Amino acid sequence: MSGSHSSPTQSQSLNDDINALSVDELDRLTQNVLDETASTRPLLGETSPLSVLREEYERGSATFLKQIDYLREKGYTHFRRTRGDGDCFYRSLAFVWVESLMVSPDKAFEASKALSLLESSLDSLEAAGFQKLVYEDFYDALANLVRQIASPAADGSTLTLSALLAAFQDPETSNSIVVFLRLLTSATIRVDEDNYAPFLFHPEIGEPIPPREFCENFVEACGKEADHVQITALTKALNFSIQVAYLDGHGNDGTVNFVEFQIAPPEEGSPPSPVLLYRPGHYDILEKH
Amino acid sequence: MAVSSRRLQKELREIKENGTPVGITLLQADDFATWFLSIEVLGETLYAGEVFALKFRFDPQYPISAPAVQFVVDDYYKAPVHPHVYSNGHICASILGSEGWSPVLGVISICITLQSMLASCKERKPPPDNDGYVQRAPENPKKASATYP
Repeated sequence: MSGSHSSPTQSQSLNDDINALSVDELDRLTQNVLDETASTRPLLGETSPLSVLREEYERGSATFLKQIDYLREKGYTHFRRTRGDGDCFYRSLAFVWVESLMVSPDKAFEASKALSLLESSLDSLEAAGFQKLVYEDFYDALANLVRQIASPAADGSTLTLSALLAAFQDPETSNSIVVFLRLLTSATIRVDEDNYAPFLFHPEIGEPIPPREFCENFVEACGKEADHVQITALTKALNFSIQVAYLDGHGNDGTVNFVEFQIAPPEEGSPPSPVLLYRPGHYDILEKH
Repeated sequence: MAVSSRRLQKELREIKENGTPVGITLLQADDFATWFLSIEVLGETLYAGEVFALKFRFDPQYPISAPAVQFVVDDYYKAPVHPHVYSNGHICASILGSEGWSPVLGVISICITLQSMLASCKERKPPPDNDGYVQRAPENPKKASATYP
């Protein structure tokens, strides 16, 4: 119990990224983040061409421009913004997860597999000590969405991409899903704490931190951004591989580092894992159309 | 139904079925907007024998957003004299701010946290900036700019 309300919640690696930026870049970045947190942006936006992102950096960092061009050479054409509210990783990941189920060749099968996975994840939540009354409404928000992929709603419709976007723009549904994924991430770390403990550090002071304290303060609390450990835990819990493209102004060759959070070696002919686009302190979704 | 009503209904059912922990009493929960509970600290503490009332206000996004919680200050109840409690009843506690709140917490866990905040107190004294804060503080503690001691 203390009265300090002023602590910024950046992760250590995020601080390192930010330290590597020049003053101009930092100003610009800070302004971008401030604009985004002004809560005028939708929680999750329509897809936009990467040229829009490029324009934003045209008067700024040459390294970012080179990196955006690199992404375009790699075939990425669009991106989808999320609001910079600290929940952006969880929101982006939830969206690409449900979307990937919807666009899979056998979506009824994938949706029912996903539902059983969600159902069995409740055992971890219980094992981690969360009460049913704490998680069930949040669980329902995500499970209902997945259920609609294959089972028609009362009006006979199944989930469309525009309905999916609408769900993620609706604060109650969208934030409930974010909370469920936070609880799932936390439970995954808590029930397997021996394996995660060596990787848990206080994001501000860099000291090792006990799993419970890490989870309470940096996973379960809304608005706390995710770093490697949370990404690893959540992709594992959902059995869902993703890549993160680091558009971070690092390096002079203008390439972008892609980090794989891979659950299993990809099956032959399977589509590439969805990609989240990381800029210091923020995650959006990167797309190929 | 708003997410807050669904959750509060369950918290209320839990309280009615299983009761509240020692020293915590539900005073009033007639709707899903405002609840009152009382807390007291048992054992040998600076607040032995004193009963305090807490007012909880919930917005429709609760428990995703923290409730507004304050000690009741009226003819009957007073706020505890404590370094983290202003004399208008506003409380400085990390779990009640956006930095420390999590949807895992609920009405009872807040009461327990505040009980232990009182129980562990070593010195009965108000926050150093009490008078200035109380003069300029808005009525709702969630709307106060959070510059606590």
